[in-house]
Amino acid sequence: MITLESVTKTYKTGTVALKDVSMDISKGEFVFLVGASGAGKSTLMALILREELPDDGRIWVAGRNLANLPRWRVPYLRRNIGCVFQDFRLLPTKTVFENVAFALQVIGRPHHQIEKQVPQVLDLVGLASKAKNMPDELSGGEQQRVAIARAFVNRPLILIADEPTGNLDPSTSKDIVQLLDRINKSGTTVVVATHDANIVDTMRKRVIELDNGEVVRDQNRGVYDVDIDDSSGMSARDLVAHSRGRRG
Amino acid sequence: MSFATKEAGSNLWRNRLMTIAAILTVAISLSLVGAALFLRQGVSNATTEWRHGVNVIVWFHPSSSRTEQSAVGDELTQLTYVKSCTYRTQTYNYDQGKRFFQSLLGSASGAMTPADTPASDQCVLKDPNEAAAISARFTNMPGVLNVSYPSKAIHNMENVTHIAQLSFLIVALILLVSALALIINTIRLAIFSRRKEVSVMKLVGATNWFIRVPFMLEGLVQGLIGALVAIMVVLILNWQLDAASAGNTLSTLYKMRLAGGELAVILVAILLIGIVIGALGSAFAVRRFLDT
Repeated sequence: MITLESVTKTYKTGTVALKDVSMDISKGEFVFLVGASGAGKSTLMALILREELPDDGRIWVAGRNLANLPRWRVPYLRRNIGCVFQDFRLLPTKTVFENVAFALQVIGRPHHQIEKQVPQVLDLVGLASKAKNMPDELSGGEQQRVAIARAFVNRPLILIADEPTGNLDPSTSKDIVQLLDRINKSGTTVVVATHDANIVDTMRKRVIELDNGEVVRDQNRGVYDVDIDDSSGMSARDLVAHSRGRRG
Repeated sequence: MSFATKEAGSNLWRNRLMTIAAILTVAISLSLVGAALFLRQGVSNATTEWRHGVNVIVWFHPSSSRTEQSAVGDELTQLTYVKSCTYRTQTYNYDQGKRFFQSLLGSASGAMTPADTPASDQCVLKDPNEAAAISARFTNMPGVLNVSYPSKAIHNMENVTHIAQLSFLIVALILLVSALALIINTIRLAIFSRRKEVSVMKLVGATNWFIRVPFMLEGLVQGLIGALVAIMVVLILNWQLDAASAGNTLSTLYKMRLAGGELAVILVAILLIGIVIGALGSAFAVRRFLDT
């Protein structure tokens, strides 16, 4: 579903954001992308959304080679990718229902389809009763659910979340990740970039760790910090070598 | 499409002060453009009559003999650049003069009689610019009272209106540029105040055209309304001209009046310039601020 082949990205300022990064995320996978700030997580997200193009290497998303994708096709690529952010990015002047409906309106979906799909997805995220509320009347966790509903209402193939629990308390964070897991179970590929060790450790999903723009770990059923993971028995370096061998 | 019109409408209302400023500037500049075009057409209409009509008139002294007059007439017709000449008797000219003063003053002057009125040769030239040469040649011939030709007056009138037109167009051009800047600014403002919506739209995969159209529509509406106001100004100008000349068929104002077709051409030109300004301004603003 998402494939990177020896991707390098250097910004004009000279900062090397990604160095020779390769990874392969299959359809229906749930992946945590971890690493310190500046490790390259956000650049990776931007590349997947084709907000940026790599300097070197190739990227396939939803079966399309992004280098060959003409600019006018980019919006159609993004219809296959739902996006969730730390700061929710809801429109404060619209109700919960309107916020979710907006995502369908602007890609030209007919009225009857909007009337049918929005209540369904609000039901899925557990906010059917708050459809008429304004975003500022909701808690942080509820606002993030609205954002997830908006990202998912078009049934995208991929859902990517950049620090989705960054502004939330631990128990709310757990709910949000469980919601993402439920969406994943419906067949959507989910990629979550996060700092939150707690959620990574409880979910035990595939973990890809970036450090200084390089993949230093790609581990199935992984945890946030490999140094405190006594079940692995392998150092981070070994794991990288292992994953390169497996995927390269 | 209904999404686009709704968005454009609410944007216009939200930034109504800027919108009004942009529309007024478009209206004023296009009114000046319209007035300049109107003036040009009017002057051209007024002078055409003279240009294609009589170019030079040789007036005979009332006491001149018929022999003197025919000598002048013969010499005139022999000149290669004279197309034709018509002899007007004293009585004819007296009647014309009486009619002219009547229409001008409302009453006929009683001071003149046909016997005091000069007879004349009215000539049409192949080249109206030769009028001065005829004047120089015939003024001192026996029996000639005076040689008059309107080309000098036409020339003066054209000069004055040319300067007026040019200054109108220069001011209009400056105002059109500021109208363009104002339209770009209102749309920039609209995009800025909607940047959240725009970023969400991009994120969920709205096409670039879908995002752009409401803003482009906004600029177009501003140009269009400005043009409509300017059209009204030109129509009022035309109506005023009609009222001022009041059917006085000999006055210059009457001769300046525009035919329906000529007026329509000017109005269409104003409308097109308004639309172009609006589309250009919005396209520029949108290109710079929406394309990533």
